[in-house]
Amino acid sequence: MQTSAVTIGRASAMPAPTWHFLNMNDTVIEVPAGLAISPSVKVSEPYSAKGAADEFENALADAQEAWEQDHPAPTAEELATREEFLAAEADATYGGTAQSAYQVVADAIEESRSLAVAFEHGVGDEAAAYLRYAAGERVVVQADPGKQVDAQVVVAAVPGTVSAAAIDVIADAGSSVNLSIVVEADADASGQAPQPEGITGTTVRVFADDGAQVSITRTQALDEGFTDIDDTGLFAADDARIDVRQTILGGSATFTGLAGDLRGDSSRIDVDTRYLGHSDRKLDLNYSLRHHGPKSRCNLQANGVLAGRASKTLRGTIDLVRGCKGAEGAENETVLLVDEGVHNKTVPVILCNEDDVAGNHGATIGHIRDEQLFYLTSRGLSQEAAERMFVAAIVEQAAIDAPDEAAKDAVVRLGERLAPGFAELFEEGV
Amino acid sequence: MSNGALLRCCGLSAAVEEKQILHEIDFEVPQGEVHVLMGPNGAGKSTLGHVLMGDPVYDITAGSIEFDGADITELTPDKRSLAGMFLSFQAPVEIPGVPLRSFLRAMVEGRGEKMKNKEFRKQTKALAETLDMDPAYLDRELGVGFSGGEKKKVEMLQLLMLKPKLAILDETDSGLDVDALSVVSRGMELYREQCDGTLLIITHNTRILEHLNVDRVHVMVAGRMVAYGTASLIEEIDAQGFERYEAAVAID
Amino acid sequence: MAEKKRTQVDDIDRSMYDFRYDDADAEKLDAGLTPDIVREISERKGEPEWMLEHRLKSLEVYNSIDMSDWGPSIDGLDMDNIVTYVKPPTEQKSDWESVPDNIKDTFDRLGIPQAERSYLAGVGAQYDSELVYHSMQESAAKMGIVYSGIEEALHGEYAELIRSKFMTLIPPTDHKFAALHGAVWSGGSFVYVPRGVRLDYPLQSYFRLNAKGAGQFEHTLIIVEDDADLHFIEGCSAPKYNVANLHAGAVELFVGKRAHLRYSTIENWSKNMYNLNTKRCRCEEEGEIEWISGSFGSHVGYLYPMSILAGRKARASFTGITFAGRGQNLDTGCKVVLAAPGTSASVETKGISKDGGIQTFRSSVVATPAANGSRCTVSCQSLMLDDRSRSDTIPAMDIRCKNVDIGHEATIGRIGDDKVFYLMSRGVSEEEAKAMIVNGFAEPISKELPLEYAVEMNNLIKLEMEGAIG
Repeated sequence: MQTSAVTIGRASAMPAPTWHFLNMNDTVIEVPAGLAISPSVKVSEPYSAKGAADEFENALADAQEAWEQDHPAPTAEELATREEFLAAEADATYGGTAQSAYQVVADAIEESRSLAVAFEHGVGDEAAAYLRYAAGERVVVQADPGKQVDAQVVVAAVPGTVSAAAIDVIADAGSSVNLSIVVEADADASGQAPQPEGITGTTVRVFADDGAQVSITRTQALDEGFTDIDDTGLFAADDARIDVRQTILGGSATFTGLAGDLRGDSSRIDVDTRYLGHSDRKLDLNYSLRHHGPKSRCNLQANGVLAGRASKTLRGTIDLVRGCKGAEGAENETVLLVDEGVHNKTVPVILCNEDDVAGNHGATIGHIRDEQLFYLTSRGLSQEAAERMFVAAIVEQAAIDAPDEAAKDAVVRLGERLAPGFAELFEEGV
Repeated sequence: MSNGALLRCCGLSAAVEEKQILHEIDFEVPQGEVHVLMGPNGAGKSTLGHVLMGDPVYDITAGSIEFDGADITELTPDKRSLAGMFLSFQAPVEIPGVPLRSFLRAMVEGRGEKMKNKEFRKQTKALAETLDMDPAYLDRELGVGFSGGEKKKVEMLQLLMLKPKLAILDETDSGLDVDALSVVSRGMELYREQCDGTLLIITHNTRILEHLNVDRVHVMVAGRMVAYGTASLIEEIDAQGFERYEAAVAID
Repeated sequence: MAEKKRTQVDDIDRSMYDFRYDDADAEKLDAGLTPDIVREISERKGEPEWMLEHRLKSLEVYNSIDMSDWGPSIDGLDMDNIVTYVKPPTEQKSDWESVPDNIKDTFDRLGIPQAERSYLAGVGAQYDSELVYHSMQESAAKMGIVYSGIEEALHGEYAELIRSKFMTLIPPTDHKFAALHGAVWSGGSFVYVPRGVRLDYPLQSYFRLNAKGAGQFEHTLIIVEDDADLHFIEGCSAPKYNVANLHAGAVELFVGKRAHLRYSTIENWSKNMYNLNTKRCRCEEEGEIEWISGSFGSHVGYLYPMSILAGRKARASFTGITFAGRGQNLDTGCKVVLAAPGTSASVETKGISKDGGIQTFRSSVVATPAANGSRCTVSCQSLMLDDRSRSDTIPAMDIRCKNVDIGHEATIGRIGDDKVFYLMSRGVSEEEAKAMIVNGFAEPISKELPLEYAVEMNNLIKLEMEGAIG
């Protein structure tokens, strides 16, 4: 099946936009014409295919019921009081507070009282729909209460194709799921001329019920020429914990988007992203975590190195919604710039309409810190050698931290292509 | 002054942000000897170590540093390192995102040594074992979450890998725990055994010197060299402290 | 016995700023904006031809671009019905006694002439769209400093200089309200500090919008030549009406080599004001701009003073506080462009929101490829005083240069219970304790202000904090 060109606009949009001149608010994903929709996806057993493709929707519907019980809708009387208050407020304050468009939308999402409305895809609904279409059948990873399931999905990049997987993770109460996603270069196509072109992508929905633990690692080690779309949407119920680790090493253009609803009390989402930008690579990352649950926690960590003429945009939004008493949200990005041609954009956003919270974010962008550089040079490394070390270290660390052999192999193969001899570092029996 | 000096400072003065810290330091360390630099807190001992290594935080305002027969006053730290100088940091920095072994490999490559990655792995593993260091540390991000003792092990590991002509060990931290102390002692021992190296130990913790034959002791107060003597000075300072020297400087 | 403290925000006594006079005898132009109105404005001012052209071009731009979609709603502002130009029945005076009584009374109540006598080197006072009073101490004039109305300066010795700078930092194409400003601007100050001249006392201007449903579009142009030094203070207020007022001023600052300019603002427009003010500064080699900015008033605020560090080692600092109370949506922050080697900038802001107020910190830091060796730190703290309010932080960084240090940190939270408890355990009431903590929070800004303004700011905070305890 050959396809025509597709343009996905307003992808990975940040919830609260800023000046357009910065060109940061969202991005555009171009899918070239003529690619074959042909998922090359291997799914390791065991994973439970139990339940239909609508397992996720069912889980969310159940959660909706439970949530409504704990959070009864305002009574007619309360609504009337509220209306009255707002009318008085409007009278007294020249029409009431002049909200921005995003603030109106944010209120509408809350007023809908719908978990489905609040559930978002990091790259956006349009991109998610496209990937779902390209993936065909969904992979459903489901863990029964108290059980553990380990699953692995390997998406191979095949030149001339769109190779995508749609994955739903449903972790029942007290269960634990470890999902490893590996997006790897096609072994045969490496080094081919002309440059292979193609799309890889995954769209992942995670439902973590009360006390469930979900760990997702996504290791991407593509060759140049490929565009990768990594779309994730998370839902965390009471005491649920979701850890996501993303390693972005290759590809020509990568779109990473993660949205999460920290709906439950004491729910927690941690995201750790490592990326490497070199040559003309374009990286686009968008994170949006919305705290609803009291004492919920989130932590976004991104560490990257930009070399060559790579460009990167990272949007990170932590939204502390009224009612998330005691919530804490943190995000931090460290970007090392090692070459003149690089371009880095970062916008770490905190939105907050709850007072009993702690939100903080930080960003450090630039060259190697002075005290680190002195240490490294005192060991004989020139500044340039020190910078190259950081580039190599990202790949090496990814191989060291790889959750399984498939991920490690993919990274080591990429490392070997970038620097011959790399594979020796990971040979057994030394 | 003898001609056999490996390190020689002549009238060395240094400042940080226009504040003068070192004043006309003259001293030398001959090849193969073990020297100790002592002095009260804030005397400028650590600063001297950093200035010798070329820390760009400090400006050399006068004088010169000669190392192995060449004037290195203007050299950047990497050139000094390649010339055979090594500084063990009192508080080694943390470098998140860089596994220890990536760093060690870059260090070896920086010396132009063509070493197969396999060979490199064997060597580092062997060295780690001689220092009783769990090789798993090689896979960890440099310094991140390491204890004081573990950080010192990493410093000693590099010392033994690089086999420098001169090792400056900055051990000014009096709070060095027993663990770290023994790591440093073991590192110095191996360094002396394996390379017959020259040592300049900056400390006021005399326990670290117990198993060493110290050739010379230098005493620094308020950014100046105030005394110079044999190992017997160590005992004297142990017993009487630096008051005598501080008083002498105060009178000036 | 002290007067009983008010417990509701509605009760806060803002009357000090709320007095007003009947504007019946002021001439008003028809509401709405047409080329004819623009021509009439220009004609009445007897402007040079280039300025009329500039106005007409700006009007075209205004009609062709949309309002931004990311900020507070301006739906409450019916542009067609806004009287964009109000000329009070007076010519500019330099003798305070000859200013009409009602206007004089207004400024007297705001303490302007006293401040001038006791402390300031010069004062300009703008009432609605026109500058009504302008004076400068003789000593400053002798140093060659020019401080005059910009309209009269258009006909004077500096006319060509003004022409070469006017709306070059803020082109009408920049955004819709810059275009509006370009079309209908009126009044404002021109300051020229010659090379090497350093003024020890601040110059001040005071804007007051008195007419109902009016717009104020003053243009401030300040040129600080090489090695010169100036502190300029700007204050704003307006009485409250039940229709929207609009302030779309423009401030263009040019700081020469090794020159220094401090620009301080305490903005306390009444809470029916749409404050869409644009401020920009360009610094040459080793020049320095310091912004001190307090935003307390307005219904809607869009305010992001911009520092363009165009010369080597130019420096900028921005110290700001924004306090959004009931009915307010204040979107404030700053923009920094590091466009030359070795530049440095630091931004420190505090935001407070309460009673349903919305406070947004928005910033952009851009480092161009020429910014080798530059650094910038941004630090932003927000304090939420209740759970009905909103505090957002939207800082963007666009870095195109490898050899830079860009740091950003932000925190958001509420007053720590432990701190309140500690103070209360020492015999301080809860309300006082919270006010003390908020004042402490604002201290880094107030300590940068001249004493009188710091006192004014502390009073504003105190006013806002009364009744903050639910």
